[in-house]
Amino acid sequence: MTPFRAMRRGYEARFEPVERVVLARVARDVAEMLRDEAGLDLFADGDDPGPSTHPGPGKGQAWANGLLAPDELTDADLARLTGVTGVGRIPTDPAARRLLPDASKDDTDIADEFRRLTQNDVAQAKVERLEAFAALLDLPSGEDAPSPLGRHGAPPPVRVPREEAEQFAGALTDVRLVIAERLGLKTDDQVMQLTDEIMWDRQAGREIPVATDGRAARRFWSGVFVAAGYAQETLMDVMLAELRGRRPSGPATSSL
Amino acid sequence: MGSAGTAVEEDTEADIASGVADPWVTIVWNDPVNLMSYVTYVFESYFGYPRVKAERLMTQVHKDGRAVVSSGGRERMEVDVQAMHGFGLWATLQESGARGAA
Repeated sequence: MTPFRAMRRGYEARFEPVERVVLARVARDVAEMLRDEAGLDLFADGDDPGPSTHPGPGKGQAWANGLLAPDELTDADLARLTGVTGVGRIPTDPAARRLLPDASKDDTDIADEFRRLTQNDVAQAKVERLEAFAALLDLPSGEDAPSPLGRHGAPPPVRVPREEAEQFAGALTDVRLVIAERLGLKTDDQVMQLTDEIMWDRQAGREIPVATDGRAARRFWSGVFVAAGYAQETLMDVMLAELRGRRPSGPATSSL
Repeated sequence: MGSAGTAVEEDTEADIASGVADPWVTIVWNDPVNLMSYVTYVFESYFGYPRVKAERLMTQVHKDGRAVVSSGGRERMEVDVQAMHGFGLWATLQESGARGAA
């Protein structure tokens, strides 16, 4: 992976094909996990309403006006009937809880209300940007796509349009947060030590092992974590430089 | 910490500390994963803080474990906390007079 650089049409970096494939895959996995944990599929509307998991009026018969007996209501039924989509169910997966954290440390009323009001929107936005991130990393495919290796044997660069860069960086954050949670990284020191180890291996030319056992899997995900951090760090360098460069320091900003 | 904030900012922060000006605050907590540059970027781009203030708050989060990043009415703070969660930062809201708010 090369550092991101500011180009005319966006921020560009060269990723190894395996880096693109792995990061796209893990982003889609995180999106899937969030969907499940936040219960987003229960409230999907529009083109994919998601069939009710309720078996339909059955043993208890429908109540008047099609109302179901309370004990037969699923979350999806409730959402359909009331229009309330903000159930705000508390995620059980610690990684999901890190992406959708409590908004108060000691006041559960505040945390619960906040979750009810915002969780679906936050989770939905994260899912969408993770999917966009994965799509942007997908290697070209199909009949008229250029060879993944490009004309000169090098993979085509990853190009992040400026207007999508914040979303891309946010998706990188979510991916890193989830991997860190899975790896049990709790302190700044642990993260620094892990980064040093991976960089040392890389400089020593040691390949990332195929994940055949627990130890190799840990090493593999550590490598992905560090690679995602490198991508984000270099992307932030160029984004911050441009943000500061274009911040109006006086009345005239027309040169943008 | 060698703050280069303007007089106006200093006043605001003094008010936050005493819980006078705004009833609620947004707090961002340290985590081992988020990059310092990313946190700084969020403070500059979302809140529109000048570089010096953004970097000072980022350092405070990193070293002290948390920082008050904004203050105002409860609804406004809910918007800020939601935005921080969107960015992947862990943020909470609380009444500014509450213990640990300043």
